[in-house]
Amino acid sequence: MSHTQSLNVDYNYTVVRLFALTTVLWGIVGMSVGVLIAAQLYWPALNFDTAWLTYSRLRPLHTNAVIFAFGTSALFATSYYVVQRTCQVRLYAEKLAMFTFIGWQAVIIAAAITLPMGISQSKEYAELEWPIDLLITVVWVSYAIVFFGTLIKRKTSHIYVANWFYGGFIITVAALHVVNSMVIPVSLTKSYSIYAGAVDAMVQWWYGHNAVGFLLTAGFLGMMYYFVPKQAGRPVYSYRLSVVHFWALIALYIWAGPHHLHYTALPDWTQSVGMVMSVILFVPSWGGMINGIMTLSGAWHKLKTDPILRFLIVSLSFYGMSTFEGPMMAIKSVNALSHYTDWTVGHVHSGALGWVAMVSIGALYHLIPAVFAQGRMYSTKLINTHFWLHTTGVVLYIVALWISGIMQGMMWRAVNTDGTLTYSFVQSLEASYPFYLMRFIGGCFVVAGMLVMAYNVIKTVRAKQGTLEPIAEAA
Amino acid sequence: MDFVTVHSIFTVIIFVAFIGLVVWLFAFKRKPDFDQVANVIFADDKKPQQKQQQESDHE
Repeated sequence: MSHTQSLNVDYNYTVVRLFALTTVLWGIVGMSVGVLIAAQLYWPALNFDTAWLTYSRLRPLHTNAVIFAFGTSALFATSYYVVQRTCQVRLYAEKLAMFTFIGWQAVIIAAAITLPMGISQSKEYAELEWPIDLLITVVWVSYAIVFFGTLIKRKTSHIYVANWFYGGFIITVAALHVVNSMVIPVSLTKSYSIYAGAVDAMVQWWYGHNAVGFLLTAGFLGMMYYFVPKQAGRPVYSYRLSVVHFWALIALYIWAGPHHLHYTALPDWTQSVGMVMSVILFVPSWGGMINGIMTLSGAWHKLKTDPILRFLIVSLSFYGMSTFEGPMMAIKSVNALSHYTDWTVGHVHSGALGWVAMVSIGALYHLIPAVFAQGRMYSTKLINTHFWLHTTGVVLYIVALWISGIMQGMMWRAVNTDGTLTYSFVQSLEASYPFYLMRFIGGCFVVAGMLVMAYNVIKTVRAKQGTLEPIAEAA
Repeated sequence: MDFVTVHSIFTVIIFVAFIGLVVWLFAFKRKPDFDQVANVIFADDKKPQQKQQQESDHE
């Protein structure tokens, strides 16, 4: 293959290809379910009075599909790709790597069957019941063996920073998953958490926020540190800053969980620690964002012609926005307004659709031609179309939920002079109604973009090998 | 030793280690080493990217 000429390493791209293609598939499925439940909030009749089509069952299906099917498949694909290319060796334990693919798809299928059936541990982002949790653990340990085995047999002396982020993500997710999934099974489909009361809530949000911090942030930062410099054709702005970024980020993130439990039965001091740690997190987050964006310094013109680079750089802008918004929302007095409103949902989607999805999509557009022995994607124009569909969708979505969320918060806290509430809950719901339509339309844009991507990917994969020549770079 | 003491010591160790890391990164003249590391992602490109080396001093 052309891109391995100078090193003559025969990389294992089979498992990378499989994960890359399933990423696109699960992206479409997960986001479509999201659009369906967004539609249900506007047209409640869309649950057709069927238990397994109700919002309560489809919502965890949506979150699991986008985080663990779409996002995590993207992490598998890119980490296997990056670790081989930066260590300049073929993947360690290739059969085990193939097992991680099959095992992970089995987890996804099991989730898609059990969640609509209402089988759930009812812990957010950890809904899957204990037999599936066990399978996840086995797959994850295999993933760690493959990844760290490849690192150990590397030909380069230094471990490139992207691998540090991927490695941190793999280890921490293993610890989070095992600790939070500790349950006493009573049957094949039902179990009870071994933790009780406020401790259970704290363990859950220690897990929940670090799923954000290590899966949806550290893992995707690994992606960023490889694909942004690679696509820009220049090394990362400051390698030293990237090392500080890594250690500062992983040292701080682990403490941020309590901000999900402000004004609850959690001890006050724990809430305050969570708040302070969340606010400090702003510093490494922005350090990393600036490091990524400044990689382009002196080559900004590339953004004009290269939609893949645009996906990657705009993803970093959304990362910067979310990591400013997040610490702010973790401050108790702001949280008193924002918590339980649509603002939180908007914040999550600015991170998930803006940062996670865009960096993954950019990375896939870079990676897919490389692993299918093509010089470029089938159509650069369609990548550009996808970029604008996606960006429009995300902006519509988050603006709608900002307005709706802040309005809800204001209405819920408004009191009359005699101390009674000014608005009933249903009045705030009525006020949010138009914004739910706007959110639905935004979601449609995002899914339309993913369909354009799928077409482009199919065309690229099915093209005769080597027929898609790389575009000559303008000077 | 009780929990609080252990955690206090742990916090101090982490803090000192982090300061040590920053000193290690920035106090010595290591920039050329790190520039080389940052370019490792281009090692497998078709054409050698000599341009990268010159550009990497834009820190």
